[in-house]
Amino acid sequence: MQSTQPAFFKQGPRPLTRLVIFAFLSLSLMVGDAYYHVLGRLREQVSIALYPLQWLATTPFSMAQEAGSFLSRQSDLLAENRRLNDAQLSAAMQAQRLKQLEGENARLRELTEARRGLPRPSQLAEILYNGRDPFSSSLVIDQGARQGVVAGRIVADAVGLVGQVVRVQPLTSEVRLISDRNHMVPVVVERNQLRAVVYGMGRQQPLEVRNMAPNVDVQPGDMLVTSGIDGVYPAGLPVARVSSVDRQSGFARIFCTPVAAIDQYRFVLILDAAEALPPYPLDASAVDAASKKKRKR
Amino acid sequence: MPVSRQILRPVSQGLIILSFLFVLLVNLLPWQAAFSDLAPDFVALFLVYWALNQPRRVGVGTGFLLGILMDVGDAAVLGQHALAYSVITFLTLWRQRQVAVAPFWQQAIGALALLLISQLIMQLVRVALGAPFVGWGYFAGPFLAALMWTPLSNLMLMHQRREVPDEL
Repeated sequence: MQSTQPAFFKQGPRPLTRLVIFAFLSLSLMVGDAYYHVLGRLREQVSIALYPLQWLATTPFSMAQEAGSFLSRQSDLLAENRRLNDAQLSAAMQAQRLKQLEGENARLRELTEARRGLPRPSQLAEILYNGRDPFSSSLVIDQGARQGVVAGRIVADAVGLVGQVVRVQPLTSEVRLISDRNHMVPVVVERNQLRAVVYGMGRQQPLEVRNMAPNVDVQPGDMLVTSGIDGVYPAGLPVARVSSVDRQSGFARIFCTPVAAIDQYRFVLILDAAEALPPYPLDASAVDAASKKKRKR
Repeated sequence: MPVSRQILRPVSQGLIILSFLFVLLVNLLPWQAAFSDLAPDFVALFLVYWALNQPRRVGVGTGFLLGILMDVGDAAVLGQHALAYSVITFLTLWRQRQVAVAPFWQQAIGALALLLISQLIMQLVRVALGAPFVGWGYFAGPFLAALMWTPLSNLMLMHQRREVPDEL
């Protein structure tokens, strides 16, 4: 039957058959990617193939920006120069003070044998583009595994926390922003050292501190900085500023705006990994059970 | 009027590949966050166009491959675009013979429906994986794409159209 057909009619499997095959393939890819995280290698290979296109898509814009800055007016430059000089002067003074405090801090830490929270080297990265995916807030940056980026690194800009590296490809990596839905950052309120967790609520939404009693001591304008308690985020990095507190319902609803200019910057810093904390202590009941077992023996 | 009235020159494989590379590039451009909802999915648009006009060259497999590329480029769940593109390519091929001879404005309505289906599939996939509903703005892109259908088709068919002598 098949051999008597003219070549014109031979078109391989029917579109429906192909659809079933490819739909099954995509569904298994989705499950593998979302639930088992086993497709890193495939993503890497595809991203290498895609890199020339990504480069081509972003380079004209950065070149145009560079050309624009080349043509800026001299008076602008002079004014900027003066402003920068002033800023540098005050920064130098602050740096001196910081050095003194750092020395003092180091001595104090030596005394208490605490070694966490020391400044760590960081790596500069340029943002390639905003993730176009409207379901999550993420960024793609131009540093990847070749430059030594590892998943889990913290990303910050000059003023505050930006997010966390979640996927690393050879030449690029993806950063999940703190505004991503259900992204959590453990923080303390700078004014009174109250511990809290700040949640992201989605792209271009404010951040929220949940599960706080209505009479909690948080005011609009309070600064939230990372607490360093989880061992992922280094302590003391500014995260968000409280913008409004609603005490009407059973829990206080505390909304905050991120300190870092999440939608504006072009360069970010990738901070080095935090030092590992001592392991989480066992539950009291687990310890009891363990000791009972020992006793039985 | 599309295909029926004129004899068209054949399309080279190179043009199809080049056009897909070009639209991938357009989709990967650093869109401002404010416009990213309005920006039509050009890859899906061209997929529908080529599946409609060159059904023997562009099929479900092409859609799947382009979808994988878009998934990685967009930092989306792997397979999300692939599934949506496979489905819309299949739907195009399913009614290709009726639609290919319809006037452009009717084809544009078909393309609108297909692109909406594609967005809807992606939305459903993400909701199934725990993302929130992103708002109706997300579905604005296909309408712009449908407006672009007629100029796009004329542009793409321009070099295929051959002068037909009247006195034949």
